[in-house]
Amino acid sequence: MTSRVGRTTLILVVVLVLVGVAWLSMNRVPAQTPPATTSSLPRTADGKPDISGIWQVLNTAAWNIQDHSATKGVPAGQAVVEGNELPYLPEALAKRNENFKNRLTADPETKCFQPGVPRIMYMPFPFQIIQTPTYIGMLFEYDGLRHIRLNSEHPEGPIEWALGDSRGRWEGDTLVVDVTYFNADTWFDRAGNFHSEEMHLVERYTLLDRDHLNYEVTVTDPKVFSRPWKMSMPFYRRIEQNLQILDYECQSFDS
Amino acid sequence: MASLSWRRILRVSVSLLSVVAIIVLVIAGLSRTVVGQSRAPFASPPPGSPPAKIRPYSEFGGCPEEPAQFHRCAQEKAKTFNPPRTADGKPDFQGYWNRIGIRNLENIEEHPESIDGSGDRSSVVDPADGRIPYQPWAAAKREAHFEKYLDAGQFCLPDGAPRFGYGATKFVVQTPGYVFMLNDYADTYRIVPMDGRPHLRPDIKLWQGSVRGRWEGNTLVIDVANQLAETTMDHIGNFFSQNAHVVERITMIDKDVIYYTATIEDAKVFTRPWTMAWGWRRNPNPKYEMWEQGCWEGVQSALKYTDEGRKRSRGAFQK
Repeated sequence: MTSRVGRTTLILVVVLVLVGVAWLSMNRVPAQTPPATTSSLPRTADGKPDISGIWQVLNTAAWNIQDHSATKGVPAGQAVVEGNELPYLPEALAKRNENFKNRLTADPETKCFQPGVPRIMYMPFPFQIIQTPTYIGMLFEYDGLRHIRLNSEHPEGPIEWALGDSRGRWEGDTLVVDVTYFNADTWFDRAGNFHSEEMHLVERYTLLDRDHLNYEVTVTDPKVFSRPWKMSMPFYRRIEQNLQILDYECQSFDS
Repeated sequence: MASLSWRRILRVSVSLLSVVAIIVLVIAGLSRTVVGQSRAPFASPPPGSPPAKIRPYSEFGGCPEEPAQFHRCAQEKAKTFNPPRTADGKPDFQGYWNRIGIRNLENIEEHPESIDGSGDRSSVVDPADGRIPYQPWAAAKREAHFEKYLDAGQFCLPDGAPRFGYGATKFVVQTPGYVFMLNDYADTYRIVPMDGRPHLRPDIKLWQGSVRGRWEGNTLVIDVANQLAETTMDHIGNFFSQNAHVVERITMIDKDVIYYTATIEDAKVFTRPWTMAWGWRRNPNPKYEMWEQGCWEGVQSALKYTDEGRKRSRGAFQK
């Protein structure tokens, strides 16, 4: 009798363990398969991927968007530029090299000017995305905000802004933002990479899963580059409890 | 002969120029002294003065715009007005808003019309005399501010509370858990978490402070602490300290009018808590968009001036 009860219990335990293992592995499968199936993405009331929240990059693009070795105070980093190559026109390359030489004073960041787009996207500070069906706002701890109006037209130019004029639309689950009307006063990084007022950007924001938002931007600027080029990187969700955007008012600090 | 007369002309011109230069310098010196002794044209008149001469106020949503009257009228309307609602049932304040009641940023107390300002009655509704209840030392500091202090707005720094509420045009966006107020000044914004989280601990000071919101019926209540307090409340230099606690109450009284009050408590600067009232009116332009300002880039074009100004600005707040 006792052994029979014991055997039944043993079988039950084995079955339970097997079911448990199967259940656990079933639940682990989606997490191991990037990108997540689109059905598992968090969505807003109007069915779009929910990209609201606080995000930040984890890379060294703020220093240099291309491959670079470490120097004092600068971590080494792999390029966020696709293929690492920037197709500068000859005169533009000379200017980039000049910029690099004078970067400690010539970089607009040292004057507390707006970093511009796309540079503001990968400054080492968090930013918060507001999402509604008609408007997407990006509020940057590093001073400033981007307004992205959906399904609307660029105003009549010419206008020159550091952050340009952003108009967005959803293409399936990807937010595509067209940015134009730039000035020639912002750089891409602290290494002197630059553009002209003729720059035109197409940004693509794709939610990979709840906590990862892929950012891809195509840069066209016939005055500086011989062909369009692309960079991409993920934004990581800041998941700390009660985390909030603080402030960094560059021009308020004694220099 | 010819060369001699040229030399003479030169000599006469030089002496004439010297005389003119001396006159200019003396006048400049005198006017500087005069300015130093006089008060700003938009300073608060001394207590007991007759009502200041101001441009007439308008009326919005059935309430007069004059702050004390607006305050009384809006309190009544707030009791019965049923505001439009967001999907989650909260009052819907979304859209673009312009301030009313506080028509200029010169002085939040009563001040007369000037060549470039409308003048205003006091926005201070408590105490009833419309005067900010400064402690004596603080009243003296306020008087000194205008002379030596350059408004932090010159440096494109964010407005703290309550100035944020009566500064530039606002764009309000509400999402679950947040109210956002984007400001048409210096590309600044305010994020109001509505999830009941606690304030930041006091060692983190921010230009806009630790901002926390909650709904009390149809009223959005915003509680602000930890302000850096290096901005003033207006051009004349009304101020508070890092110790200040500000409670704002925002209620819709008409689909196009919002009633706004702020109570400021700061035992280091004031003798008692006090309250301001003003309003917002919906921006009548349906195509209005907020665009980049590039405020600091503009200011930098006068670099030398701002460096000097920055020293003065920071100096005003040092003991």
